[in-house]
Amino acid sequence: MDSSGPKSNSDRSAADIAAQLEDVSVKLSRTATWSGIETQNAYGPADVEGMDYARDLGDPGEYPYTRGAFPEMYRSRMWTLRNIVGYGAPEDTREGIEKALKLGTAGVNIVLDTLSQEAVDPDHPAFSPDAGQEGCSLPTVRDLEVLLAGIDVTRTGVAWHTTMMIYPLVVAMAKKQGKDLSQLIGSHMPDHLQLRLSVGNESTVPTALGHRTTVDCLEYSSKNTPRWSLGCPQAYNLRERGVPASGEIALGMAIVKLTLRDLAARGVGVDQVAPSMAWVSGADIDFFEEVAKFRALRRIWARTMKEQFGSQDARSQRLRIACHTSGRALVYPQPLNNLARATVQTLAALLGGVQSLETCTWDEPICIPTEDARELATRTQQILANEVGAARTADPLGGSWYVESLTNQVEADALGLLEKIEGIGLIKAIEDGTIEGLMDDYNYQFKKEMDRGERIVVGVNKFIPKPEPAPKRFSFDPKGMLAHLERFRALKVGRDQTLLKEKIAQLYRAVRSGENAHPAMIEALIADASIGEVWGTVRVASGLAYDPFRVVESPFTYPTI
Amino acid sequence: MPQQKIRCLLAMLGTDVHNKGIRTLAQLLRDRGVEVIYLGEHNTAGGVINALIAEDADVVGLSYSTATYLHYTRDLLDKMRTAGVGDVPLMLGGLIHADDEPALREMGVRGIFGPGSTMDQIVEFLQTATGKTLPGGAAAGA
Amino acid sequence: MSDRPGGESVAVTRTGTGADPGTDLQIIESLARGELRVAARLISRIESGDPAILPLLAALHARGGKTPLIGITGPPGAGKSTLVDQLIFRYRQQGKRVAVLAVDPSSPFSGGAILGDRIRMNRHSADEDVFIRSMAARGRLGGLAIAAGDALLVLDAMGWDVILIETVGVGQSEIDILRHAHTVVIVQTPAGGDAVQALKAGVLEVGDIFVVNKADAAGADRTVSQLREALSFRSDAQEPESWHAPVLKTQAVEGLGIDELVLSIAAQAEFWRSHPQQRATRRRLQTRLLLIDQIAETLHQRQQAGDRQQRFEQLLDEVLARRCDLHTAASRLLDHAMK
Repeated sequence: MDSSGPKSNSDRSAADIAAQLEDVSVKLSRTATWSGIETQNAYGPADVEGMDYARDLGDPGEYPYTRGAFPEMYRSRMWTLRNIVGYGAPEDTREGIEKALKLGTAGVNIVLDTLSQEAVDPDHPAFSPDAGQEGCSLPTVRDLEVLLAGIDVTRTGVAWHTTMMIYPLVVAMAKKQGKDLSQLIGSHMPDHLQLRLSVGNESTVPTALGHRTTVDCLEYSSKNTPRWSLGCPQAYNLRERGVPASGEIALGMAIVKLTLRDLAARGVGVDQVAPSMAWVSGADIDFFEEVAKFRALRRIWARTMKEQFGSQDARSQRLRIACHTSGRALVYPQPLNNLARATVQTLAALLGGVQSLETCTWDEPICIPTEDARELATRTQQILANEVGAARTADPLGGSWYVESLTNQVEADALGLLEKIEGIGLIKAIEDGTIEGLMDDYNYQFKKEMDRGERIVVGVNKFIPKPEPAPKRFSFDPKGMLAHLERFRALKVGRDQTLLKEKIAQLYRAVRSGENAHPAMIEALIADASIGEVWGTVRVASGLAYDPFRVVESPFTYPTI
Repeated sequence: MPQQKIRCLLAMLGTDVHNKGIRTLAQLLRDRGVEVIYLGEHNTAGGVINALIAEDADVVGLSYSTATYLHYTRDLLDKMRTAGVGDVPLMLGGLIHADDEPALREMGVRGIFGPGSTMDQIVEFLQTATGKTLPGGAAAGA
Repeated sequence: MSDRPGGESVAVTRTGTGADPGTDLQIIESLARGELRVAARLISRIESGDPAILPLLAALHARGGKTPLIGITGPPGAGKSTLVDQLIFRYRQQGKRVAVLAVDPSSPFSGGAILGDRIRMNRHSADEDVFIRSMAARGRLGGLAIAAGDALLVLDAMGWDVILIETVGVGQSEIDILRHAHTVVIVQTPAGGDAVQALKAGVLEVGDIFVVNKADAAGADRTVSQLREALSFRSDAQEPESWHAPVLKTQAVEGLGIDELVLSIAAQAEFWRSHPQQRATRRRLQTRLLLIDQIAETLHQRQQAGDRQQRFEQLLDEVLARRCDLHTAASRLLDHAMK
């Protein structure tokens, strides 16, 4: 703190003027990228020496897909403009979806509440207040039927922004309705290792059990619902938790490679499952670095699939990317500035060639999106698509010495970190806290750099705005949630208890025997078991407590084997 | 010689998983000489209170990114008073909406550090609320 | 374990008021009643080096020695906290009340610390029959083991059925701390190279039970056989009437091998019961080393006071100038300190 003595009036006004000048003059505060890659003043041919067009880039739609997954890119198929929707009871979320579709959203990502995301029932005595708060509460097939009433899941694809239990729920509903599972469309994010890292503790999502569930899900889906899309890895959450651009690629690839190896051990080859997989990515604030990341990612993916897994199917090798712009980069002070941030992130994703895109709302750091903010996010994409011309030409930044060099750098960093993680072993590196340590270090250094002024975030550590009234918050009528909870309790009493017990016992036996647990999970859900009951049974059969929080005891007695 | 340390319990209540802020705070407080007892995510009020008692913490810090903080905070403070530890200062961080600050103060929350708060503010609060001084922190009483 | 509707259970009646704990006798009675806050406050006073509690500690020591103390140590990342969590779980199933002292000897420059071991034991957080206290180094050199020993006196006075002491293996301090334990469990993970080389000096000698955790990882069996071989050369291994340290395999995360560990700990306690001579020898050796530690610590504390600190620095100058040697300087300091 400056503790120098009092200043004269004239000194003070001179200092004020200097401070004001400081505020209006734009200076370069940093020469490294947001992730920490040092950059040069300018780039030239020497910086991409040795690059071979056919080998390292290829035309858009050609191996190794650095320049894009499809030859015509957005001329042949536009990206899917998505919006995230989810709050309260299934009825509340349904209302939100219908409003979003009216705005011109091509598809919605349905987000579930934190309880449903962790397979905890909404009547959990300790956590019930969180039910419906940050997403839709969806504990049973009956609730899914309410949410998707009138929607044919073999004709309309619904994207689920969640990992646990949603896939068995959707399959259970489709089976109950007598649908042809081979025609089931939609997507979700089966990546439990990501969930383990996001949730932050071993008790809620044990690493080994989580990973087994991912493998079960991908095996089941590749055999039964080949049109269903698998958002794996869910690298968005990993990036947001705290890794650089290269770290997003490294961690995601480590997860994908381990998963594919374990699938291969079960007889599921890369070309049976990889064509259904898509990378769930973020778009952070450093424009050029993000474009480079998408390009490096596609190249690493293509080469890994072909060279390490022996893929022969181009659909396995060309990576599709589902992008959500970074919420982490958006800040609370002067929140309308987030519109500018989100616009640049969205543009980076488009120039990076993503296949679906959801723009974070400007009020993301304040609350769950308000309707007005959601509309502006949709308009942002419409402006970029229709006025700016962002979608006209594939890989418009390809061939830039800077972008190509940065692509190479991100790729090299990613491969280096991937090797390090695989050297330890991914599961071990998660279980013993190595990965979380990496993330904590990243966040810690990030904060230190902000404190030292080596990293400027407008409104946070510089250009601090005048205090302003807090913006309006999203809110919804809790009436729907009360009725939903009532319905949930009534269902638990009214369901066929004999059938339920039989299905739960079968699930327990399936998990114990080591076979794929998904068929038995689906059958139990059809018998009106809740997600908490199904996952709790899987946990008990895996030698864990029914409730990770030790508050609820299992209502079931399990067979002795 | 060992000295009077500030022991600060950091925890999250409910199903909130956005832990990067509180994990970074733990590191920054450690750098300032605080003994941080880190409880992580998914705690119940009872669990926090039992830890607070066993660890004889001088202060409790909670971080929230979900909208249910009014409920969880009120519940915790009620149970702290019942358990005879209502005197331990409580501070909150994370996404605390300015509109809720008066209600939180009314409940008995002593420190609120929403977005934009600085480490110096938090350190000063810790020293004032606990009556202890940190090695490098001359902020108390200044 | 009982179902707890509402999910909340706070040890209301056992927290005490936090007000003046009263006379030493009253404090001892409060501890015997299991008043957690009194115990917790007392440990804080021990940690801050409050000399006023020495008479109380003497009284606790006179009455102590009843509770089994199990020490658990191993390198960072070996899974100690998870293993402790599993042990708590088994002991709770047996209806035993458990106290844990989790000591982290790592000492960052700032003097601060992040004590995060509780996270892995979080499932017991609402169980009032489980008491977990974390303790940091606070820049102490040898004093940590003594402070830990004093904290164990407090826990011992509270009537827990078992006390677990967890320390991270980063230096000599955790071996010192283990001198308080009746049973010492050394945790290792499968090592890439020579498992015994990876052990720090002294660790092999003090272990009563060796655990190779993460036993599903590659190299587990080799680590087990390397440890067994090394143990067969231990001085006590040749004697028929001595305890032969077993090497066990566990997977703490999955809860595998824990029953065997619990049985092994019980068997070791039973061995002490049936072999009072060996037990006495062991306690004597441990206490001898503790007393030597304590002498150094007491001297160190006395040197901190006023002119003694100055005298110490003066003697140090003499030694540096080679006007006095280390032996003579130490004798002079001791003679002075005894006065």
